[in-house]
Amino acid sequence: MTFKEIQELVKLINKSNLTEFKIKDGEFELAIRTNKYEKRKTQQQAAPSNPAPAQQAPIIQMPPVQTPYPAAPPSSSAAPQAKPQPEPEVESPREEKKEDRSKYVEVRSPIVGTFYRSSSPEKPPYVKVGDTIEVGQVVCIVEAMKLFNEIESEIGGKIVKVMVEDAQPVEYDQVLFLVEPA
Amino acid sequence: MRKKNTLFVGKVFHEFLTLPSTNLYAQELLSKSKPSEGTVISAVHQTAGRGQIGSSWETEAGLNITLSVIFYPRFLPVYRQFSLTQAVALSVRDLVARYTEKPVKVKWPNDIYIGNGKVAGVLIQTTLGQKGFRNCIVGVGVNVNQQSFSPLLPNPTSLYLETGVSHSLPLLREAYFQALEHRYLQLKNGRWQAIGEEYRQYLYGRGERVLFERPDGERFSGTIKGVNASGQLLVLHDDGEEAFHMKQVKMVGAPG
Repeated sequence: MTFKEIQELVKLINKSNLTEFKIKDGEFELAIRTNKYEKRKTQQQAAPSNPAPAQQAPIIQMPPVQTPYPAAPPSSSAAPQAKPQPEPEVESPREEKKEDRSKYVEVRSPIVGTFYRSSSPEKPPYVKVGDTIEVGQVVCIVEAMKLFNEIESEIGGKIVKVMVEDAQPVEYDQVLFLVEPA
Repeated sequence: MRKKNTLFVGKVFHEFLTLPSTNLYAQELLSKSKPSEGTVISAVHQTAGRGQIGSSWETEAGLNITLSVIFYPRFLPVYRQFSLTQAVALSVRDLVARYTEKPVKVKWPNDIYIGNGKVAGVLIQTTLGQKGFRNCIVGVGVNVNQQSFSPLLPNPTSLYLETGVSHSLPLLREAYFQALEHRYLQLKNGRWQAIGEEYRQYLYGRGERVLFERPDGERFSGTIKGVNASGQLLVLHDDGEEAFHMKQVKMVGAPG
C-alpha cells in the first residue's frame, strides 16, 4: 500500500462511522482507531455491568511471524476524557514493555530478518556484554532473504544486554541490545 | 585490455589469482578506503567462497566467474531492499540468458537456474547505518566452463554443461558488468515495479505445483504465486495463500 493510499483510507475512515479498522494484505498490516473508538470505550466502561476493561480488548489474531500487535491501549480508562482529535490515530505497531531500562538506550532492528551475532559461525561475535561500542560500529547482522545487512549502532556506550539469541528471527524495530550510554 | 562498455561498473578492476573470498576482500577494501562505485574484485580461484551463512560455494580454479562489486545504494529506502535482491538476480539471469536458449529462471530468492540446475548464485552484503544503506557488496558466482561437480552439491550445472560451448571469462565478465550496471541504474531510477514484474516473470516454478516442507517436517503441495514487497514467497495451498520467510519453507521437489 502506498502512502497516498493510506492517506485516502484515513480520510475515508474519518468520514465514516467506524470506530476501528483493520486491513491485512500479505505481510502488510494496518490498524486504525478513530476517536469514536475512545468514546465508545469510555461509555462502555462507565456501564456497571461491563466486565474488566482488558476483556474489551478487540480480539486480534496474530499471524505466526508478524509484527507483534499491541493490545488495546492499556490505560486510556484511567484518563476519563479521551482527547478529541481531528484525525484518527494510526497505531504505532509496537509499544515495548518498559522495565527499569530508563538509564539504558536500545539498539533496534531496522528490518525484519534473522539476527546473527557474528559474520560466520566460526567467527567471534561482533559485540558481547561489557564491550564498549562507538557510534557507527557494526554490532550484528540481520539477514533478510539472503541479503546480509551489517547493522551499525546509532549510539555509543557499553553493551548491557543482548536481547536476541543468535540465528533467531527479529521483527522490525525489535530491541537487539541494551546499551548504557557513554 | 578491456573495452569500456560501462559507465562505472568494472572501471576499477582488481583481479587475483587466489583469494579466500572476493566479498571479504571488498569488505576489507571498504574498511580501509573509499573505493569508487562499481569497483570489482575478481578471483581466478576463490578458496572460501560463501553462499549463505554456513554454506560454501564450490568453484574450480580458472573455470568460473567469481567476483564482487561495490555499490553505495544510499538512494534505496530500507523497506525496498528486496528490490536490490531482485535487480541483482535479474542481472545474472540477463547474463546467463544471453548464452543459452533454454529457460533461465530465478529461484527464490536469488539463485539462477537453467532448467532444474543451479548455474549461478548471489550473495549480497550491506552496511546499514542510521541513514539507511551505506554500502553494498554484490557477490556473484557463475559456473561457466566447469564440467564436473562434487556429488555433494544437489543440482549444479554450468554454461558449458548446458550448451556444450566454452566461454571466454573476460568477455563474459564484461557482459556481466553491462547487465549489472543496467539493472542497478534501473533500481536507482526507482523502477521497483518494472523490476518486480520481471522478477515475477522469471520466477522459478511460478504458477506450478511444488512440494514444500516446513521446518517441522510437514510437507504440503502448493502453487507458487509470486513474492510480496518484502520478498516473502507467496504460495497458494489447500488452506489459502500463505507468505513465507526464507527459513519457514523449503522446496523439496522440482516444479511441474
